[in-house]
Amino acid sequence: MTGAKFHADLMNAARLVLMAVAVLAVSSLTARAASSVLSKPSQQCLGCHSAKGLEKKLANGETLSLHVEGSEFARSVHNMIGCAVCHADTTLENHPPVKTKIAGAREYSLTLAKVCHTCHADKLKLYEGSIHAALVREGNPIAPICTDCHSPHAVLPQAAYDEASGAPCSRCHNPVFDAYAGSVHGEARKKGRMDAPVCSSCHNTHDPRAGGNEDALRNACLGCHPRALPAHREWLPNAERHLHTVSCAACHAPGAKRKIDLRLYDSAAQKRIAEKEGVPQFELRARAIDTEGKGLDVNELQKLLGEINRDGTEGRAILRGRLEVDSGIEAHRLAGKTRAVGQCEGCHRAGSAPFQKVTISIAGVDGRPVRYDARQEVLNSANSVESIGGFYVIGGTRIGLLDVLVVLSLLIGVGVPVVHLALGWLSRKYAKRIGGREDS
Amino acid sequence: MPRIYVHPLPVRIWHWINALGFVTMIVTGFQIRYVGLIDLMSFRTAVVLHNWVGFVLIANFFVWLLFYLFSDKITVYHPDLSPTRQFRRSFRQMWYYGYGIFKGEPNPHHISVYQKFNAMQGMTYQVIMLLLVPLQFYTGVLLWDVERFSGMIDVLGGVRVVDTAHVLIFTFFVGFIAIHPYLASLGHTRTAHFKAMFTGYEEVEEEPTARPPAG
Repeated sequence: MTGAKFHADLMNAARLVLMAVAVLAVSSLTARAASSVLSKPSQQCLGCHSAKGLEKKLANGETLSLHVEGSEFARSVHNMIGCAVCHADTTLENHPPVKTKIAGAREYSLTLAKVCHTCHADKLKLYEGSIHAALVREGNPIAPICTDCHSPHAVLPQAAYDEASGAPCSRCHNPVFDAYAGSVHGEARKKGRMDAPVCSSCHNTHDPRAGGNEDALRNACLGCHPRALPAHREWLPNAERHLHTVSCAACHAPGAKRKIDLRLYDSAAQKRIAEKEGVPQFELRARAIDTEGKGLDVNELQKLLGEINRDGTEGRAILRGRLEVDSGIEAHRLAGKTRAVGQCEGCHRAGSAPFQKVTISIAGVDGRPVRYDARQEVLNSANSVESIGGFYVIGGTRIGLLDVLVVLSLLIGVGVPVVHLALGWLSRKYAKRIGGREDS
Repeated sequence: MPRIYVHPLPVRIWHWINALGFVTMIVTGFQIRYVGLIDLMSFRTAVVLHNWVGFVLIANFFVWLLFYLFSDKITVYHPDLSPTRQFRRSFRQMWYYGYGIFKGEPNPHHISVYQKFNAMQGMTYQVIMLLLVPLQFYTGVLLWDVERFSGMIDVLGGVRVVDTAHVLIFTFFVGFIAIHPYLASLGHTRTAHFKAMFTGYEEVEEEPTARPPAG
């Protein structure tokens, strides 16, 4: 179908829709009562398409179901516009059978998704900034498009949507949803707390962003817990810094495994360094530098930073650390605040569990972090003072060499008086013999 | 034994607050840095105490600074303008502590109101009071609220750099806090200098060479 023809058909369909809307508006109650009644043209289509098992073989060998459940469509909000608006390329002249070859189910869905945008442009705008759209652009074959979340022939009014069910998110993110369902949020929702968050409360309905965007996630928490910062200030020294460098889940998902993610930032732009589109190099580069394959050590990390700096960032490539949970699933196992980690010693003790796993990350093209493992020793090495100057946990990631100096200083502090006293005692007799004072 | 008034009241107040404060800072500093190895108090208590005492010490520092800025006693810190003489005097003092004292030789430095520190002591205290202590306060304040001072911390190379500087100076004070009272015990009696820091009066073995005490 040419673009011009599609446009003309669409305009015709839009006119029909406008007329239908006008008729519906003036006929008020009658119209509402009849809203679940299929229009004549729709009934005509369903004459064939309500038949179960109606399907079509596609060019790639897949099968496309052509069955539409009439009762579901009648209840759907799209009943109002009928079949022809979305399927405008299907006319009495070319149907049946449809002569246009359909390459595959995915390609067909991608084509039809464009039709959604004609009426839902605002949602498209949101969607285009989402991680889902980014994945589609990358060519990910299972990244969701409109029809993956909204079954087009059974779209119900928003009010009828059961947000707590997890659908449609749980279809792809089921382990995450299970973790959520057992969390303080999921439990509250089950108990009827309608203010308890569901997926879309934190991740937005049409523009979910890549996980690991610390500000977005923190803001999502603070959106419902505006007193979180003052409440933390009451007991937590450096509360603002903690809330910036420790993900909420790291303390509020008490059983979760935690790790340190050292994120590459441009010191001048104060932004995360991002992978260049089309030429992802970070992982390849890190792998090439990591000669032993055990994760980057201190020198290898410096070498990596040097190479990134040579790429010509605006400022210097610096690393800023963040304490976070090891997986997105664990990030959703949030507990009530009484079970949250409140013991400073859990992180401020040398060798604490969170410091056993370290990753270096860069922002991927789609916004998701691309990570590479680093060795635990990078957090404690004196050689890391420059390379990971932006991350330090007092006590927790203390530098071993400084400990040696502290011990040396203690030994000098105690040793000098002891040795001096001993020498004084030994020399007392000598001083007396030559006529000097004894109380030296 | 004649006495001269060498430690005016503001200096004595500053000194003892400083002494108590620095001991507290070192103890809490050890607790903060060595959680698990030392369990005198919780980490949080140590941090809160460290912060509060830190601010008391900053305020106390200004007691010292303002007193000496607006007093003629500032001469006690004046080094000898001749580097050769300054070095010779410092060396003589070191020689005394390292050798002469065991032979019962007299202390080469004679305390006076306007020159109460020996050459080595004066230089050391200047480095401590005008360089190390302010630097320690500065890095300490940055670490007290890392978020508020993040811009400055970034300029300095990051929180790890700032903390490393803080710990290095801490390391110096750990040694100093042990050696300082020992050196103070090397007066004509073990307790002479300690008593003087309470009363203000130092006992001198011979007639003071400087002007009489200001009262």
